[in-house]
Amino acid sequence: MAQCVQSVQELIPDSFVPCVAALCSEEAERLTRLNHLSFAELLKPFSRLTSEVHMRDPNNQLHIIKNLKIAVSNIVTQPPQSGAIRKLLNDVVSGSQPAEGLVANVITAGDYDLNISATTPWFESYRETFLQSMPASDHEFLNHYLACMLVASSSEAEPVEQFSKLSQEQHRIQHNNECSYPKWFIPNTLKYYVLLHDVSAGDEQRAESIYEEMKQKYGTQGCYLLKINSRASNRASDEQIPDPWSQYLQKSSIQNQESYEDGPCIVTSNKNSDSNLLSLDGLDNEVKDGLPNNFRVHPLQLDQTSDSSNSIDGPDHVKSASLHETKKGNTGIIHGACLTLTDHDRIRQFIQEFTFRGLLPHIEKTIRQLNDQLISRKGLSRSLFSATKKWFSGSKVPEKSINELKNTSGLLYPPEAPELQIRKMADLCFLVQHYDLAYSCYHTAKKDFLNDQAMLYAAGALEMAAVSAFLQPGAPRPYPAHYMDTAIQTYRDICKNMVLAERCVLLSAEILKSQSKYSEAAALLIRLTSENTWKGMDSDLRSALLLEQAAHCFINMKAPMVRKYAFHMILAGHRFSKAGQKKHALRCYCQAMQVYKGKGWSLAEDHINFTIGRQSYTLRQLDNAVSAFRHILINESKQSAAQQGAFLREYLYVYKNVSQLSPDGPLPQLPLPYINSSATRVFFGHDRRPADGEKQAATHVSLDQEYDSESSQQWRELEEQVVAVVNKGIIPSNFYPTQYCLNSYSDNSRFPFAVVEEPITVEVAFRNPLKVPLLLTDLSLLWKFQPKDFSGKDNEEVKQLVTGEPEMIGAEVISEFLINSEELKVARLKLFPHHVGELHILGVVYNLGTVQGQVDGIGALPGCHTGKYSLSLSVRGKQDLEIQGPRLNNTKEEKTSIKYGPDRRLDPIITEEMPLLEVFFIHFPTGLLCGEIRKAYVEFVNVSKCPLTGLKVVSKRPEFFTFGGNTAVLTPLSPSASENCSAYKTVVTDSTSVCTALISSASSVDFGIGIGSQPEVIPVPLPDTVLLPGASVQLPMWLRGPDEEGVHEINFLFYYESVKKQPKIRHRILRHTAVICTSRSLNVRATVCRSNSLEDEEGRGSNMLVFVDVENTNTSEAGVKEFHIVQVSSSSKHWKLQKSVNLSENKDAKLASREKGKFCFKAIKCEEKEVATQSSEKYTFADIIFGNEQIISSASPCADFFYRSLSSELKKPQTQLSVHTEKQSIEDAVRLIQKCSEVDLNIVILWKAYVVEDSKQLILEGQHHVILRTIGQEAFSYPQKQELPEMELLKFFRPENTTVSSRPSIEQLSNLIKTSLHYPESFNHPFHQKSLCLVPVTLLLSNCSTADVDVIVDLRHKTTSPEALEIHGSFTWLGQTQYKLQLKSQEIHSLQLKACFVHTGVYNLGTPRVFAKLSDQVTVFETSQQNSMPALIIITNV
Amino acid sequence: MAVCVAVIAKENYPLYIRSTPTENELKFHYMVHTSLDVVDEKVSAMGKALVDQRELYLGLLYPTEDYKVYGYVTNSKVKFVMVVDSSNTALRDNEIRSMFRKLHNSYTDVMCNPFYNPGDRIQSSGNLGISLSCRAFDTMVTSMMIQVC
Repeated sequence: MAQCVQSVQELIPDSFVPCVAALCSEEAERLTRLNHLSFAELLKPFSRLTSEVHMRDPNNQLHIIKNLKIAVSNIVTQPPQSGAIRKLLNDVVSGSQPAEGLVANVITAGDYDLNISATTPWFESYRETFLQSMPASDHEFLNHYLACMLVASSSEAEPVEQFSKLSQEQHRIQHNNECSYPKWFIPNTLKYYVLLHDVSAGDEQRAESIYEEMKQKYGTQGCYLLKINSRASNRASDEQIPDPWSQYLQKSSIQNQESYEDGPCIVTSNKNSDSNLLSLDGLDNEVKDGLPNNFRVHPLQLDQTSDSSNSIDGPDHVKSASLHETKKGNTGIIHGACLTLTDHDRIRQFIQEFTFRGLLPHIEKTIRQLNDQLISRKGLSRSLFSATKKWFSGSKVPEKSINELKNTSGLLYPPEAPELQIRKMADLCFLVQHYDLAYSCYHTAKKDFLNDQAMLYAAGALEMAAVSAFLQPGAPRPYPAHYMDTAIQTYRDICKNMVLAERCVLLSAEILKSQSKYSEAAALLIRLTSENTWKGMDSDLRSALLLEQAAHCFINMKAPMVRKYAFHMILAGHRFSKAGQKKHALRCYCQAMQVYKGKGWSLAEDHINFTIGRQSYTLRQLDNAVSAFRHILINESKQSAAQQGAFLREYLYVYKNVSQLSPDGPLPQLPLPYINSSATRVFFGHDRRPADGEKQAATHVSLDQEYDSESSQQWRELEEQVVAVVNKGIIPSNFYPTQYCLNSYSDNSRFPFAVVEEPITVEVAFRNPLKVPLLLTDLSLLWKFQPKDFSGKDNEEVKQLVTGEPEMIGAEVISEFLINSEELKVARLKLFPHHVGELHILGVVYNLGTVQGQVDGIGALPGCHTGKYSLSLSVRGKQDLEIQGPRLNNTKEEKTSIKYGPDRRLDPIITEEMPLLEVFFIHFPTGLLCGEIRKAYVEFVNVSKCPLTGLKVVSKRPEFFTFGGNTAVLTPLSPSASENCSAYKTVVTDSTSVCTALISSASSVDFGIGIGSQPEVIPVPLPDTVLLPGASVQLPMWLRGPDEEGVHEINFLFYYESVKKQPKIRHRILRHTAVICTSRSLNVRATVCRSNSLEDEEGRGSNMLVFVDVENTNTSEAGVKEFHIVQVSSSSKHWKLQKSVNLSENKDAKLASREKGKFCFKAIKCEEKEVATQSSEKYTFADIIFGNEQIISSASPCADFFYRSLSSELKKPQTQLSVHTEKQSIEDAVRLIQKCSEVDLNIVILWKAYVVEDSKQLILEGQHHVILRTIGQEAFSYPQKQELPEMELLKFFRPENTTVSSRPSIEQLSNLIKTSLHYPESFNHPFHQKSLCLVPVTLLLSNCSTADVDVIVDLRHKTTSPEALEIHGSFTWLGQTQYKLQLKSQEIHSLQLKACFVHTGVYNLGTPRVFAKLSDQVTVFETSQQNSMPALIIITNV
Repeated sequence: MAVCVAVIAKENYPLYIRSTPTENELKFHYMVHTSLDVVDEKVSAMGKALVDQRELYLGLLYPTEDYKVYGYVTNSKVKFVMVVDSSNTALRDNEIRSMFRKLHNSYTDVMCNPFYNPGDRIQSSGNLGISLSCRAFDTMVTSMMIQVC
């Protein structure tokens, strides 16, 4: 129970005061009416005595009465009607609202902090009014009239006559049987004669004389002359007189009955007419119409029914109407306008006089009389009673519990029954605050009534006994709460009198509260609320108030029960709304909300929010309504779909009202659907065109592509490469990679650039959290644009912001966008900038609505994407797109605090026109054999209005494609013409020259290789280097299948610039990703070794043999029948293939599946002079043909791919020498030695494959490259994968950092000197003639290196292998056994040796050991030995 | 047979709440929420009396016209609240007690799941690791709501 202004000790005496009736003559009434007051009203402010009053009780003890108050009221002949009372109570409650700026208490209970208004003034006024309006009843006398004032005016013709007339009237009212109302305390009512005198108008003399006459007639104690109206009413009031009436009259009291004289009928008729007559602002009806009625009724939510029934509207309208009335009455009229302060004093004096002289003596006398009567009767009745009781029941008279009593209504005593006398006395004592006596009287009366089974009387006595026991000064006995409980129960259950029960509860609860027995008080209060129907509907108001008080009790407990508080607040709010007290209902729900908010009780929270929303709406607090509804929708709702749909409709409806109120206001922010703003993507540029016939457009970037960080990194690198090439190797500091699609992964810290007239697509990710579909209509982007002229004069003119002009920016509108329940869906919205400037995309604007016909539907209707949705309700609103940038984490400050960088995704700068390139690929294959060459065409189209230039393409795989070198122009330009031509450039040859090579040469410069260090960047050979607007160019493009089998994604980045230099955007790019699937074709491996040249051959000492193994590794699933090796070409700076060796039978070099062929070629050095004249970049091509067509290997595309593969080979990491050699010289030496085993011969194998595809034979062409670098080492066309061991052994020791031997390997050293023995293969010698056979042998030593080499030739036999000695027998070298020579660079020296044999046989002459060392080195590498091949000689005997 | 079974976290938000007549769900939510006050009261009263070895079962929290609300609180201050139809006289204190014990065991099983994140709602629609034990809990509650123990 909330705190009250009055304490209980004040409240109860004020609630029970002596009642005095007032009966006025018409004239007297007229006098008071001048003040706009009735007589009773006139007295009202002065009805409390300011001084103490003394009184003697029956025992002649002096009793002091403090603060006595009397209630004077005009005589009413009819009991107050319950309807009127109800209306009055309603008005009182609704008229009392919490003050606006009321500071609420903050109560902290557990983890709850609640703002609770400590006082509930509406309850207090309700209670006061309720107690005052209690109808007088027969079983108690507290509000029966004790006295009657008879008022006449001095201005009357016959005042004395008038008095007797009034007296008769009073008598008639009291004693006529027709008038059962009002009730009078005792038959002998005190009559007090009051003569009203108008000072300003009347004759004072006459008044005095009448008064004298009265005094004589009624005695001085029984009459009074009251002078009022000292001031003429028409005189302007200069003097400010306090208006003591205002506070009493605002709450129009029940005593003021004039307006309700025929009250009930008026009120009821009002009610009936009101309900269908006016809808005050059309609101309620609108709600009813606008909202679909097919809600499932919420369990606790009966508002709907009450809202739509008249019961709510009725009191509401009555209330407002009457409020209106009272307001009208109150504002214009000043009460007591004719009264001066002296008059006030006079009235006060009059009351005092009346009480002292008239009323109290009367009461005193009555008490005494009653007491006497009782004493005289006591003995008899008591003894009789007890005697009979004893005889019949044979036991003591106990206080029987109520339940045992069979009689429900109890008997009714006649008004003058002797049993009531004691009650009368008790009531009188109570009224004059003599609580001791009152208690004992009540107590006695209670016993009597109980004995008589007069339950109503007993309950009344119990109630008052309890109250007086509580009010006894000094509190000699504890408050008998059980008296109260019994009384309440009796009233309620037996007597069915809820008004009395309610009074009882109100008093008892207040008393309990004052004793801090909050839980008992709460229980009491709640017990009375359980009834739903009691004589109609005003139990709602009562229940609401009592529940609210109970809630306050819970929160005021020592351990506050917050949740109970909240729950009862909700119940109270519910009842308030049923009672039509909307403001109070809203307040209750809001208070309860504090407890439920954010605690995870979502169902309850939703319900409260919903109710708050509705109540606020009906109270026209639209903002609150909106926010409450918003809450329901925003929180992840656990409601059913139908409920959500209802919420949504309600929300939309309210929103619609809000927007209708302020149609020009800013668009409201809509809460639905959710926007995942960080998932917003922005795309600059046109949509990708679909493939057009055999034309295949470049894939470029589109919103359909998933973001892949790896590939975006690749693209970035490509762009950096090409920019570096364009800027002569340096990437400009202000370079940023071009981003066409911005998403949450891209770098959004800079303002992106968009080109004028090119669309900007924004992809917004919507999510519908509800279980009902949402329909967005007229969805478009909201933007702000600042036009600017970038070309100069930037700051001169101030440009205003433009926010909605289609001339500047065109916006695409999506007319319908449906998001199904709990769906994630993206919308792509376009803007078309038509002007240069700064654009800011602010958000989206749309109409939010639901789909009709889905009221009860759960989920979405299938297939409802097509067709028009009939929009039931929609609201136009917006949602902002605000993207939080990435968290900054660079500086220390940023690390310690949480800061976010900007995200400028949505703030593009519109720049001037730029060229726009589109690229199409024609005949672009999807599958290739490894190494296959295919010719395709690329079409470049400039679709913009600016010419473009500087077109380049960059790719990580430049070996994959070529546009051809300078010679490419010769090939047919249009794709149709080249349908069946070979991709190669061929020349028909005669077959005679088969075995020898055809020589041509080409420089790598011609093929765009070797410029700069970026072989990946390839300029596109545009005819005029400029592509004009609208122009298109088709260029041939050769593709070579990558050497590796599998699927290859090859990225092309086309780079181009505008002819006109743009300050903002320097270049633009276009991306293409080609996917090529390659299958295995040929595997080529080759070795090269030195050969001893025959004498007849040229180029002695620089001959090599090249062995080429070709294997068909195709697994023939693609229908490849066989491969033909068409041509083998060499390409080298120093070497060339000379002829084919060993090519007798396999003329056409056919290779079926898994077949292997071996080729052997002889290679020789190019002529010296040739080498000298050629630039270092000049390569010599030598073709050896196996067919009758020569493919010119030095021309496009063969040479292109060759160079590409060469350069890609070069890129690969070389086997690096350890850096940490001891001496520089050693390193040099090693290099020297290595060099002489190096060779730079490149073999190109050109092939044709016959393929059957769709029963059609196709000829595919291709080429493989083998790069030979080292003599003796095998090289492959396809880089062998080095298989890593699956798992390396763990090493527990640090591997010793063994210096990787800086010494050259034996093998390398052996290549330093080439030796060859020249001798006759067989030698006939007549051993019988001469036993010693001498054979001349020439040892040719040729220095392969470029440095001087010291050579030691040791002819002594090795002694290490004794077996060899035995087997071969022996021969001996004659002559010098060791030679020391120095060979200059490339020098060939021949040494004449003589071998001496003694037997016939086969001998190995290869025994000379040759030690070589670089002559400028001192001791290193001395032990180089040449293990030459066995050189066999046959010695025969002739 | 229980009409509503609820598991309330230490911080007094619902971990699990289920009621049989689903159309009255809100009412039970309110009822359970309000009963927490009584639980608090009882716990604080009990805490003084018996610090160790206290009884987890709180007994009848309060009766309403149609229902009886029983409470149980674990040592970690997780509350179990059960609403029982008051017309069902077959349910004695002992039966309620054993039902609570079963509920507690079942709840412990859910807690023992390493995928369970303490403080999460017990709902089988969660991740795969936890959904199984949540479903087991759910079935147990269903059995308590159907069968007359």
